[in-house]
Amino acid sequence: MAYLLRRIAGAALVVFGATSMVFLILYWLPGDPATLVAGEGATAETIARIRAHLGTGRPLWDQYMSYLDNLAHGDLGTSFATGEPVLHRLWAQAMPTLDLTLLACVVAIVVGVVMGVVSAVHRGRWLDHAIQAALLLFTSMPSFWLGILLIMVFAVTLRWLPAIGNGSLAQLVLPVACLGLIAAGKLARMVRNSVIEVLDEPFVTTLRAKGLTERSVLFRHVLRNALIPVVTLLGILAGELLSGAVVTETLFARQGVGRILVEAVGVKDIPVVQGVILFAAVFYVLINLLVDLSYVVIDRRVRV
Amino acid sequence: MPTRREFAALIAGGTLAVSRAFAAPPATTPKPGGELVFALDGAAVVTFLLDPHNSGFAPHNRVFRSIFDSLVVLRPDQSVGPWLAQSWQVAPDQKSYTFQLRRGVTFHDGTPFDAASVKANLDRISDPKNALVALPDIGPYAGADVLAPDTVRINLSEPFAPLLRNLSKTTLGIVSPAAVAKYGATFGQNPVGTGPFRFVSLIQGTEIRLARNEDYQWAPDGASHQGPAYLERLTFKNVPEEATRVAALQSRQVHAADTIPPQALAALRADPTFRVLDKELLNNNYALYPNIARAPWNDEQIRLALRLSLDIDTIVRVIYLGTLPRAWAPLSPSIFASAEHDLAKSWKPDPKRAADILQANGWLPGASGIREKDGKRLTISFIDTQGNREKRLDVIQLVRRQLAKTGFDLSIDSQPAGTYVAKMSNGEYDLAGASQFAPDPDVLRRLHLPDGRDKSSVSKVDDPEISQWLRDGMRENEPEARAELYHKVQAKLIDKTYALPIYVLQYNIGTTDAVSGVTIDTHGFPQFHGAWLATA
Repeated sequence: MAYLLRRIAGAALVVFGATSMVFLILYWLPGDPATLVAGEGATAETIARIRAHLGTGRPLWDQYMSYLDNLAHGDLGTSFATGEPVLHRLWAQAMPTLDLTLLACVVAIVVGVVMGVVSAVHRGRWLDHAIQAALLLFTSMPSFWLGILLIMVFAVTLRWLPAIGNGSLAQLVLPVACLGLIAAGKLARMVRNSVIEVLDEPFVTTLRAKGLTERSVLFRHVLRNALIPVVTLLGILAGELLSGAVVTETLFARQGVGRILVEAVGVKDIPVVQGVILFAAVFYVLINLLVDLSYVVIDRRVRV
Repeated sequence: MPTRREFAALIAGGTLAVSRAFAAPPATTPKPGGELVFALDGAAVVTFLLDPHNSGFAPHNRVFRSIFDSLVVLRPDQSVGPWLAQSWQVAPDQKSYTFQLRRGVTFHDGTPFDAASVKANLDRISDPKNALVALPDIGPYAGADVLAPDTVRINLSEPFAPLLRNLSKTTLGIVSPAAVAKYGATFGQNPVGTGPFRFVSLIQGTEIRLARNEDYQWAPDGASHQGPAYLERLTFKNVPEEATRVAALQSRQVHAADTIPPQALAALRADPTFRVLDKELLNNNYALYPNIARAPWNDEQIRLALRLSLDIDTIVRVIYLGTLPRAWAPLSPSIFASAEHDLAKSWKPDPKRAADILQANGWLPGASGIREKDGKRLTISFIDTQGNREKRLDVIQLVRRQLAKTGFDLSIDSQPAGTYVAKMSNGEYDLAGASQFAPDPDVLRRLHLPDGRDKSSVSKVDDPEISQWLRDGMRENEPEARAELYHKVQAKLIDKTYALPIYVLQYNIGTTDAVSGVTIDTHGFPQFHGAWLATA
């Protein structure tokens, strides 16, 4: 229980640190939000009025304190660019990104672990070489290029799946495959190495000598030990998938926080950037919390 | 003038198109109903700001034409015809215009369109506190008088020749004053007009949904269709990636897509199950502008060396594969007073002379072929924020290669919008590029007349002669005299290398064979009022 509390406190600290840091960085970036909101042809008077309205003329610490105060009350502020509440803008975009990222995670895990294990068991044989070659192809392909390839094959030539948009499950298949397969490639190489390492350990020989079936050795003993480094990698990959979503969302013309973030940084729409960072930080921290907790399930030596 | 053979080809092409339309089963007469999905090249812009008075961004203006109507319509011969205004009289001193408005027009929110709403629109635009993009379009506007519910007089502080053509622009589309009052700062997410389609919903960055305006009875003079639109629903999807846009069309996930890239155009044209329409966008062509407020670009000779190093014909041919003509004049050929005809082939690339000029000015070859003077390298920082829209960065890559041959070192400085505006305002760049859609040569005033110009303007030209011609052109009502003024402006812009026009944009739309009746208006924006679906 203390372990869990410690982990949660640490997670909260990471989220707080990330949002504070981004707040500072945004102020160092050149460009004045009020001028950008006012747009072309605005008079100095207009800009001053907008600045007063946005409150960006106040001292930095004052703005930071009021941001924290609002945040504590669950208020993420209002977008400088559109005047909409940030929560409203995020809410509309967060679900498609979560769908995409989480499903890509599932694809990465299933494809990555299966490929890795099969490859390790058939070490040095043609199946291993074939899988290795395919994985290398996936990991070295830019997501942008893989995405166009998938669209060409499955949307244009075969017409099995839609190329753009979001909302239906069919529309998720190609972007999830695009993101998930690349991550699966990385994961599978890790799984393969890890499984091979464990297979070579003396205790495996002992287990085999005891007369356990190969299947039982593999699934009950080897995998459990081999998965620990893999799970750690998965925590990092989840963050990578979230950032990879930016490219994928543009390519497949999907909604998502990634595209919102890129534009908001460009026009210094600080409340929106803060909102997205908060979302991303919470997501990343949650995944890693789950990763930490899963050690307990996989490896009994980690005590709660 | 087309030759006789070209005429024959045109007529034959027309006949073919007609016979194909009639052969297309099952429907040959317009069928009402259905939803048309249009893939729009909206660039990487996530914020839809559907306020016509506050957007100079062409992709969003392509949506406006379906939601908002204008007082007048621009006809193919560049004259203006009646729309929400039925007729008008211009005072002898050219300082007031009295419009008789069409009766029985209502906004999508049910409020009536009348003289008071026209006045409210113009007052909104002219209020400097609102800082709206459309402000320069109304020039010396000095207020409006409501003479009767259907009569409004627009007063000007001085004659303003561009007024009527500017009133036909999407940026002066008529919005519902009641909706502006109701939504305030978020009107751009809740647009209300009088157009053939009303706004239903939007998802920022991805989708704009419109539905038929059942009351629509006020299509402009000369429209292909009168009465409510055939389509029940019209959906714009923002698909910024060109390969995806073409794929969505080819897989028939959308009915139509715009800005089809050159490499895909030929394939679509050859495929009988697709159609392609295109039309010149009335435009101040995409051009490169040296920052003449900064050394060494303040020196006319160095700018000349820059120009003579460039073979723009080759650049345009290589990048656009013959789908777009090269631009010689700042204004696209169809705009009134474009100097395209006079300026065509007015200069030739001459890298040898460019090198001589640089040599004579003390810029001598240094390490790796880049010229140097007093220890400073001949570098050009090209600033950009929109990415490869219309393949503009591909153009710059070729520009960079050609300039390297005479000893310039061009680098691309890609910045987010905020930093871009800051750097443009502070003059921290050497070269920039932009285009501005417009129906009147007065667009040159926005760029090249220093008074009232935005600090971040892409042109830093401050030339007393050009300024005078632009001011005179704004007031001159006699077409021939007016055209002559703008011809002089354009000739000098090229002669002094203040501007380097690159290509004439032919806006295009690809559709599946299920779609009929999509048109492109005189400005070069898509219209869906007369569109219908064979499968509806």
